[in-house]
Amino acid sequence: MAEKKTIAKEAGGRKIIIADSAAAMDESTKGAVFVDGSHCGINVGEMTIHSGVGAMIGNDAGMGKNDAGIAALKMCDEKGIPAAAVAAMSAKIGDGMSTYEQGKISVANKAAQKFGVSAGMSAKEAADKLLEGLIKSGK
Amino acid sequence: MTHEVHKVVKESGGFRIVIANSATSVSGDNKNDIVVDGSHCGANIATDYILPAGARGMIGNDAGIGLENAGIASLKMLETKGVPAAAVAAMSAEIGVGQSTYDDGVISAANEVAKKMGVAVGMTAKEAAAKMLEGIS
Repeated sequence: MAEKKTIAKEAGGRKIIIADSAAAMDESTKGAVFVDGSHCGINVGEMTIHSGVGAMIGNDAGMGKNDAGIAALKMCDEKGIPAAAVAAMSAKIGDGMSTYEQGKISVANKAAQKFGVSAGMSAKEAADKLLEGLIKSGK
Repeated sequence: MTHEVHKVVKESGGFRIVIANSATSVSGDNKNDIVVDGSHCGANIATDYILPAGARGMIGNDAGIGLENAGIASLKMLETKGVPAAAVAAMSAEIGVGQSTYDDGVISAANEVAKKMGVAVGMTAKEAAAKMLEGIS
């Protein structure tokens, strides 16, 4: 099935797109700041890298065993893709709008930090920073 | 949805236990399957994937349970449809890795349908999946 996507913001030819699952990443989300309700595990890292999204914010899923819940962040860093996670206690996992509207960043990768994203920031503010950073970088 | 080749780990009476990294990869091909996956058990997993696919059972990751127990919201939803479902503790298995759910996972929550089939908190995911397979066969 095709997952529902919501465009929360558009600026400078870039978008902030919200979806419940990272599985909604596709051609239409290339270059966008993609905010979803998924965990940030290794398979989500693969989806993020292969989809060509500009940046990603997901849920840290309580971090979990071997920090598997945020494994995607490092993978994205290696590809220069800014990525961050919100604390599982701040937003409802599986609900992308909750990530965007309620989420508080618990961890951000280096690429995201370069765009001004930091732990404790709201996901909405972080998404704005990523949007702005992508526009400026022109990548 | 995403595409994955599911590993079949057990078969009995026309039913199977299959492993998937993501619940977003389930489809009508899984209508006779207990799906053991690496996904969280949030609400969208039931409504968008497990129920439309018609899967016969599900074991996922509790994702640390999280805000408003969102990490296990699908368990109750599946219960109302008569589908056995359970979650493993996020600290017991690597989220996103279905094989870890199956090999390392320890059940932290189970719905009433799963409990009736003998699934209990503290049980390994492997044993829980076997109970579900037996229960639906």
